[in-house]
Amino acid sequence: MAAAQQDTTQHQLRTVQVFGKPAEVYAAGSRVVQVDSAYLSTYSSGTLAEALQARTPIYFKSYGASGTSTVAFRGTNASQTAVLWNGLNIAPATLGQSDFSTLPLSGIGEVAVQHGAAAATYGSGAIGGAVLLNSAKYKTARLSGDVKLEAGSFGRYFGSGSAGYSTKKFSFGVSAYGQLAKNDFKYKDLTRFGTPEVRQDNAQVEQHGFTKDLSWQISPQTQLAVHGWYTFSDRELQPAMGSAYADARQRDESLRLMAELQHQSRFGQTDIKLAYFNEYLHYTDLSNDSKSEVDTYQLQAEQTFTRGERWSLRGGLNMQHFVADNDGYAAQQDENRASLFALFRYNPVQPLQLSLNLRQALVEGFNPPPTPALGFNWKFFNSNQHQVSLKGNASGSYRVPTLNDRFWAGTGNPDLKPEQGWSYELGLRHVLVQGNTFLLETEATAYHMLVDDWIQWSPGNTGAWRPVNLQKVESKGIELSTTATSTLREVKLSSTAGYTYTSSEQVEVYEGNGDEGKQLMYVPRHKAILSAEANYRNWRLLGNLNYTGLRYTSNSETNNLDSFILLNLALSRKLQLGQHSLLLTLRSDNMTNAAYQTMAYRAMPPRGYTFSLRFIIP
Amino acid sequence: MRKLNYFRSFFLAATLAITSLGFTSCDDDNDGPTGAYAEEGVFVVNEGNFQTPNGSVSYYNTNTKEVQNNIFGRSNNNRPLGDVVQSMVIHGDRAFIVVNNSNKIEVVNAGTFASVGVVEGLALPRYFVALNNDKGYVTEYVNFGIGRVSVIDLNTYTVTKTIPVGKLPEQIALAGGKLYVTNSGDNTVSVINTATDAVETSITVADAPNSLAIDRNNVLWVLSSGNKSYDPYPEVDEANSTAASLTKINTSNNTVTGTITFPEVAASAGKLVMNGNRDKLYFIYNGGVHQLGITASTVNSSPLINRSFYGLGVDPETSYIYGGDDNGFDGDGTVYVYNPDGTQISTFKAGIAPNGFLFN
Repeated sequence: MAAAQQDTTQHQLRTVQVFGKPAEVYAAGSRVVQVDSAYLSTYSSGTLAEALQARTPIYFKSYGASGTSTVAFRGTNASQTAVLWNGLNIAPATLGQSDFSTLPLSGIGEVAVQHGAAAATYGSGAIGGAVLLNSAKYKTARLSGDVKLEAGSFGRYFGSGSAGYSTKKFSFGVSAYGQLAKNDFKYKDLTRFGTPEVRQDNAQVEQHGFTKDLSWQISPQTQLAVHGWYTFSDRELQPAMGSAYADARQRDESLRLMAELQHQSRFGQTDIKLAYFNEYLHYTDLSNDSKSEVDTYQLQAEQTFTRGERWSLRGGLNMQHFVADNDGYAAQQDENRASLFALFRYNPVQPLQLSLNLRQALVEGFNPPPTPALGFNWKFFNSNQHQVSLKGNASGSYRVPTLNDRFWAGTGNPDLKPEQGWSYELGLRHVLVQGNTFLLETEATAYHMLVDDWIQWSPGNTGAWRPVNLQKVESKGIELSTTATSTLREVKLSSTAGYTYTSSEQVEVYEGNGDEGKQLMYVPRHKAILSAEANYRNWRLLGNLNYTGLRYTSNSETNNLDSFILLNLALSRKLQLGQHSLLLTLRSDNMTNAAYQTMAYRAMPPRGYTFSLRFIIP
Repeated sequence: MRKLNYFRSFFLAATLAITSLGFTSCDDDNDGPTGAYAEEGVFVVNEGNFQTPNGSVSYYNTNTKEVQNNIFGRSNNNRPLGDVVQSMVIHGDRAFIVVNNSNKIEVVNAGTFASVGVVEGLALPRYFVALNNDKGYVTEYVNFGIGRVSVIDLNTYTVTKTIPVGKLPEQIALAGGKLYVTNSGDNTVSVINTATDAVETSITVADAPNSLAIDRNNVLWVLSSGNKSYDPYPEVDEANSTAASLTKINTSNNTVTGTITFPEVAASAGKLVMNGNRDKLYFIYNGGVHQLGITASTVNSSPLINRSFYGLGVDPETSYIYGGDDNGFDGDGTVYVYNPDGTQISTFKAGIAPNGFLFN
């Protein structure tokens, strides 16, 4: 039973299971990995950046403890990983990228990562991969809830609460969180004579927000869901060591609302999603005061036809309307974008699954070519204990220029082309099941990707910064992972080891000299993770080891940040209080007290401790 | 560097007024440096990435053609030099390296580059000049408004006095006991009497003066970029803009003796430097490197080198022209070396964003 649930290849084509998660059905041959729920609940006070840095091969550049965190997935840049919330892209169209340090785990139900190009399914920006977030589901009959209070080193306090209520037809849940972190840790200032130990100033963060989720089974065929997500973050932007602090602060506010309607009829399943997102960003320092606000209206309509268990076809339309106000623009800018897509899945014989996806995006003046993706999963060996699958895909991807790329006063470049990617991957997957006590899943994937017309801001010959189609980048790599789950009497153990090798370099440079043939900056060639969870009666131990290899700090391979190892441990004890329970957790982050940076000279916290209390109803 | 786009725009804003260079290696003292970097060579000032302390200095040995990058780090336990290395001056056996966004001047032995001190607590320092072994001056943006010149005690490395000048003070030069300060946010050159350390007078020049040089006849040449009005950016609204110009100033009575106004109103100009004989001016104008004799009265419309550079320098002995390419700030910059006639001789890799040169 456990094996069947965890083996995605065993997912059947029942449409119920694809709600909000087309990845696993229409993306045969790609790798989708879920961040486990034990981790998410233990580290729920953290951000998505911290979770993915610890648990996935994705590398995050964090501008210190309080600054922005941007992503590098399979050797691509921050704009080339799509972030979807309940199936819709949430990156603000102005900047075209998500700051993962403003995306809290609190209130989020599921976090999954799709490796590799997935733009045919998710649209613009899913070049290196996609991060899939889904709202929490409140399924417990009647009232449920929890309250969590946390205090940690360096002046960090966190509190959250949630409440859910559900009946057969109706479920409703709310959650809220708040956090204050001073981040006044000590670090060695490498830029001063004698590297004196100093206390970090100007890195305070205040965050709060809430989620609201409602679902209503109107009839046996029709379901309506409404989701709301608000996040607020006000922070001092931590300067680099030895850099002047210019009183830099940033306030981010995001409101995301969506309604989704699902209806089953004899024509198949109809899904309609309607969303409104508002993103506000206000940056100030001694010499700047810049505001940016963008409203996004989004409609996605999909129709799914399924015949037996052999084939399934989903056709859809996505429409976006942006209204952006930015101090850098000459005036308010509106823009419409649309895309049409068709996702097809066919199982000619039981062990073979094929998928073909096609997407055509329509953007004024920036129409990218049609984006296809073709994948297969072939379970060529299947015995009682062993399953071996070969899988692979060839996918196109694209990213249209951001509103900043287009409308920044004077520098918006009308000749900009959309980015285009091509990727191929091939993988082997092995699953070993021994009764109910042992499960071993191992996967190896190799990929090759070309991203052309990569957009980047560059000073050019005149010194005026503007976006250009700067380069063509080749990224290739290997991803290995193995997960073992075993039960020995009262002890339940599970462990995951993963390793990735990433090579990402310029193969052509369209402007200036460039640094062809060298590893792109801030892309580690090697990253490895080892996580383990042990459960014994009411105790749980969660450990995370993360090795991040050397990263160059420019494209010339002349300066680098040293590799580092981070160890995080969390020990929990559950106390039963009648029907309710109390969870006590003691956590240590960076246990070995490693001095490390993910972005040059931005100090990161040393060893710290956190204690948390969580009261769970029922 | 793949920073967020809006950081780029801050960078743009912060550096709109930046022009660099014009190192006035002004000492005739006999206490010259000895050490690995005391031979004939060129120091390359590599600005680094804004908001990251990865600025550096490279040393190019003109005899062996060998380049050593990050010589400050090499001599100082890999300590980074700082954030936005703006300029460098050698006086006697010391080199003074102005690190703009680290608010400091690092002082090193000019021959070994070993640290001998630091002037801290400055406010966005730009350019430095030493009057003698005891006293120096540095321009500071302070808060992007009215700037100042701070007087530095070169024995204690402390600020002894601050002198308010005009907006966004850039390059400075000494002539006849006077300190000339280009106020790039205004149209003035402040004149400070080094005996009293007070502003004596202010000379009106063309809009946005950013660099200056003193020729063999002690005439002060001030290069102004001109004010540009855009409609919309980057289209220059010529009717409401002023052209770049060179202003000639007689340093004995601080009067303007002539102005050469450049033909293209829309084009900016900056990075004025002079050859060793101090009879030829070199500067960047309208996307090219231009050369001008000190007796000329108009600017040649065709450049000597048909490309722009982030940093410009002229070897005082060979008159070779050095240009620094910024490589988009993503990787190490390339230095291009040209014959005096503008034909390219060689290139070498330096650090990130080479913005200026200092010749030993």
